[in-house]
Amino acid sequence: MATIEMTPVPAAAPDERSLLPLLDEGKPSARGWLARRIVQAGVIGAGLALIAVNPPVLQTDRVTKGLIFVIIGFSLHILLGYAGQISLGHQAFVGVGAFTSALLVSKGLTFWVAIFVSGATGALTALILGFVALRLKGLVLALVTFAYGQVAVNSIFAIPQLTGGGAGVDALRPAGFEGDKAWAYLVAGFLALIWLLDWRLVKSKAGRAIMTIRENEVAAASFGINVVGYKILAFVLSGAIAGIGGALFAHHTRQVAPNDFNFQLALVFVLMVVVGGLGSRPGVFVGSMFFGIFPLAVPSDFVHYGELIGALLLLLTLTMFPGGIGQQLKPFTDWIAGHPFHFSLKPQRESGISSGGAGVRP
Amino acid sequence: MISALLSAIILGLIQGAVIGLVALGIVLVYKGSRVFNFAQAELGTVAAFFLYFLIDVVNVNYFVALPLALIGIGIVGFLLERLIVRPLFDAPRVTMLVATAGVTLLFIALELIIGHTQTRILAKAADGTAFTILTVSFTYQRMIVIAAVVGLAIASAWFFNKTDLGLAVLATSQEPVATELVGIGTRRISSFVWVSAAVLGGIAGVLQGPDTLLYPGMMTREFLLLGLTAAVLGGITSLSGAFIGGLLIGGLNGLGSWAQGQFTASIGAIPAFPEVLVFVVLLAVLSVRPQGLFGAEA
Repeated sequence: MATIEMTPVPAAAPDERSLLPLLDEGKPSARGWLARRIVQAGVIGAGLALIAVNPPVLQTDRVTKGLIFVIIGFSLHILLGYAGQISLGHQAFVGVGAFTSALLVSKGLTFWVAIFVSGATGALTALILGFVALRLKGLVLALVTFAYGQVAVNSIFAIPQLTGGGAGVDALRPAGFEGDKAWAYLVAGFLALIWLLDWRLVKSKAGRAIMTIRENEVAAASFGINVVGYKILAFVLSGAIAGIGGALFAHHTRQVAPNDFNFQLALVFVLMVVVGGLGSRPGVFVGSMFFGIFPLAVPSDFVHYGELIGALLLLLTLTMFPGGIGQQLKPFTDWIAGHPFHFSLKPQRESGISSGGAGVRP
Repeated sequence: MISALLSAIILGLIQGAVIGLVALGIVLVYKGSRVFNFAQAELGTVAAFFLYFLIDVVNVNYFVALPLALIGIGIVGFLLERLIVRPLFDAPRVTMLVATAGVTLLFIALELIIGHTQTRILAKAADGTAFTILTVSFTYQRMIVIAAVVGLAIASAWFFNKTDLGLAVLATSQEPVATELVGIGTRRISSFVWVSAAVLGGIAGVLQGPDTLLYPGMMTREFLLLGLTAAVLGGITSLSGAFIGGLLIGGLNGLGSWAQGQFTASIGAIPAFPEVLVFVVLLAVLSVRPQGLFGAEA
């Protein structure tokens, strides 16, 4: 399950604290770093072993679904967490990616090319929305993304030539990865790449620019940051990752139909990122994993109780623990990143959503 | 051809009345809390389920059950404000928007747990048809819907323009601290807004319920997007704008479905053409007038 630490990521949240050099706290000793790396490797190893063992509740098939949700969660997190732009139509990007790959593979193209074409089509659909987002802010943007997702699903996804109408399109897995375990490792590999990309984005000039725009657009522009360009970049990156996630989604179930991408799914995506905790990669990982696996692990008679628990978790997170799961994980992730171990139960009100762009009134 | 077009548009306008009612509730919450209430439509489904439960399970007379259902939904609105809105009073508006979307999911999950996925037939306030224009029959139920929408739109316009309480609601949303300083209890005002919005949503639900079958998530599926679009098109702060926006979108929907049936080769080939049409009009209006058709501050 915990394939998160697959890459050597200092998993600190991209907040002010991690941007500060380790001034007064001092750096860990060589033995301290060794202990941290051993723990990190242990967590990754345990996650990979989990896939190989295929235990009763966390079957490989379910874990893979969770990993795909994490990829989609990271995609939405770029918009919601870093850029401060809300997207209630994310199921459309995922769906576009899913149908692109399924269609191309069924026409004979190899999966290894199709998945990157999916990324491109996902990016293209996000690009269109990005241009709309340049003019609209806050709540009105939320409405337009919501409408965009609905219209895409009800209209574009209903064209039989593209999506097979209600019947859907077959999506075969690539040769050598038909088995559940091999497929799970492939998905984990894609997640590792995207995790790496996300980590480098946050540390780069582009990442800092995107987050500055979230905090204050006018101030960012006055520092010479290309506001239009970086906003569009955030949408394109998010769309590309969502497209790749969609392709994996399609090939995971081996078939994809328009009904897979309803409005509730878009809300679940928002839910898992917010419950996971904006600004925290490990938090988004755990949150997305939970919302990917939980509905499958609940007995089918009680599936609606699962939905109820999801909604309650969201409301509790928003009203009482705005930092989400990431906030609870912070003592551990900070330690891995080289800080001393500080543990406090005091809730802190400093998540990404509660600052800057996303909060601007229309 | 002309009569088919007119019939489609009249049908659309009738649907537009319900859209306008949902939009009215959205505007009311926006004026009071500066947030888009994504739970507005689902409050209607919950009220419709209350009504169904009272009539078909408890066996109460319709005209006793109706006020009880509306009181019930008012209590739900009160609790919603206490448990969700008030803790998020200082939070950014998008956070609160996500919270109202979460409330919608919560309601739908509860409806599914209690009522399962089956569809039900909700009782009507009145049976029979008053008159028929072209092929559109004006049933008494539809007349009641139209009368309710017009009456409620006028009443809320009067409320905001003429009463002190209406002014206090606006003051609370714009300058909560200053409002508190002049001696107005902003918390009470906030409760009041959400209870009224819940009752408005409930009226939409119980009136629309008999026309579309009653099932979990009914109002959200059919009216949330249209209601929000109507409210934004009309200029999110304008009550008359919400009403006109509702009619406009209803009419567009009617026009769209007529065109889809008429030109099967071209437009008919576009699935869900009415929805696409409404979306295109929304984008067009927002690109020319980002504040909506009748938008103004306050």
